[in-house]
Amino acid sequence: MRNIRYWLLTALASGLLAACGGNDDAPGSGSPSGAPATKGSFTAVVSFGDSLSDLGAYTPATSATGNGAAPYVGGKFTTNITDLATGSNTAKVWVENLATSLGVIITPAEVGFAGQSAKCPAAANPALANSCTGYGQGGSRITNPIGIGNDGNDGAALTVPMKTQIANHLERFGSFKDSDLIIVFGGNNDAFIQFGTFAATATQIQTDAAAGKITADQAKNLLLNAQLAGQAEMKTAALELASYVRTEILAKGGKYVTVWNLPDSTLTPFGSTLPADVRPVLTSFVDVFNLWLRDGLTGQPVQLFDANSSFKEVYANPTKYGIANNTVPACDAVKIAAITGGAITDGSSLFCNGTPGVPFNGLRMLPDGTLADVNTWQFADGVHPTVGGHKLISDSALAVLKSYGWL
Amino acid sequence: MTIKLQPLVFGITLALAAGAVQAQDNIFKGGAIFYQTHDKTTGIRGFGIPPGADASVGDAWTLLFTYERMFRPDFGIELVLGLPPKIEAKGSGTTAFLGDNILSAKNIAPTLLFNYHFGAPSDTWRPYVGIGVNYTIFSDIKSKLASKVQMSDSVGIAGQIGLDYHYDKNWGAFASIGAAKVKTDLIAVESTVLTTTIDFRPVTYAFGVSYRF
Repeated sequence: MRNIRYWLLTALASGLLAACGGNDDAPGSGSPSGAPATKGSFTAVVSFGDSLSDLGAYTPATSATGNGAAPYVGGKFTTNITDLATGSNTAKVWVENLATSLGVIITPAEVGFAGQSAKCPAAANPALANSCTGYGQGGSRITNPIGIGNDGNDGAALTVPMKTQIANHLERFGSFKDSDLIIVFGGNNDAFIQFGTFAATATQIQTDAAAGKITADQAKNLLLNAQLAGQAEMKTAALELASYVRTEILAKGGKYVTVWNLPDSTLTPFGSTLPADVRPVLTSFVDVFNLWLRDGLTGQPVQLFDANSSFKEVYANPTKYGIANNTVPACDAVKIAAITGGAITDGSSLFCNGTPGVPFNGLRMLPDGTLADVNTWQFADGVHPTVGGHKLISDSALAVLKSYGWL
Repeated sequence: MTIKLQPLVFGITLALAAGAVQAQDNIFKGGAIFYQTHDKTTGIRGFGIPPGADASVGDAWTLLFTYERMFRPDFGIELVLGLPPKIEAKGSGTTAFLGDNILSAKNIAPTLLFNYHFGAPSDTWRPYVGIGVNYTIFSDIKSKLASKVQMSDSVGIAGQIGLDYHYDKNWGAFASIGAAKVKTDLIAVESTVLTTTIDFRPVTYAFGVSYRF
């Protein structure tokens, strides 16, 4: 009996151990670790990203005279402000606000449109030769060079992908430095492109279902497959971005590296125009991206900032953050169409100017005759922030960098 | 040395048989068992999965083998083994459109029961009750929704009530009804990650022949 009792206990114990240790953790349940906890001595902000981090890459495309020369209507994806004395754009996106707080200067890494771009235009002033570390461009994706607004032909947006943005930095500066504050924030355009593909497929499926070509259950299966296909692309994009961070930033000298996950683009004026049944698909693309980005950075010495949660907090509590309107774009698509001679009909804030009293002011006029307030309205167009919206982003960036002990 | 290399069940059999052998101390049973699930899940969670997504697990038949060692005329320890049945799950709730067989797995579920037998060994009919532990491992897990699926092992309490019919000194028949706590955490990984916890809440119905010596 004693032997048997011993055996039973052993068997039971080993069974319990197997039950506890038998499974891996679910993907995305880990965290990065090992990022520096000491204060940085920053001489540069190095920013990789898309339109949210674009410092005016496409400014020549907004030439009021249409020939690429000043004056410019816009240039940044926000409510642009023109200094009438100098012609310069004084609207600051969050990357510039952050750099200013750190006491460093950041300028666009590349400016132009299609074949007419110039790298580091600020270097015309030798004192600024090392300032052009703002790589974000409207439409840029993570790996694919054909981003939004780029049809591969002349006249198209540059949309240098983040992979190449990083390569361009290494080409110009050789490596990353301990004095670089490196911010990686992209993937939105991958989500939008996948969502566009999904929407086109879904429309076809619904047309076929309505025509009786397929059953309702077949349609649901096809819709699920279309969603899964988009999610698979987002997973790929996220793992690619994580691999660039590991192999092209961390392995090449990057020390103070913060990677931002994607905010949910359905919490925007654009998102509110989406039918309720497809909105969760775009959200799922963002969530899948964020999950695999975290998985790809698990154990890596970076700080992963949950921009998604931060953005949700602001969207849910606008007044707490000084926002009076987060549902209507501050820029008026009709005005912008008129200002651009009908060329821009989607109200893109790239062409939106908020300077009081200028004929190319593109702000929405309210019933009382005043214009939308670029400081208290959160969005300039469907997805891009006003200068007020950008300030909220830089405020949260500063707070989180302080929490890391880097500032 | 060779014993250690044998499958666990034979090791146990030998260990048990090594005790003082008396008449009718060993009982082998063979038969069929119906594995009826009353499963409850926590719902299927995952990015892009609509609220209310769920799956339900089907029932299964398989062959049953048991060995019981009597330590007293009224008390024995029984090891219950079966040919691993294939269990299948189908979509339900808002994901009913997924149809049948979205997940299949074989469950290997050895159960060790401490049985109390009423009456005397010479009785023709002897009811018994048992309580013990069920250990379930899921293998051959396949899903058309994900290429990588994990199901955690389950350890839980098990119980049974049964009735033995003794035709002669050696041969007989039995029928029993059992229940066990079988619960697994499922993680399915593709581009999205699906998770759920399945509480199978199985009730088993078994019958067959017995041989004692």
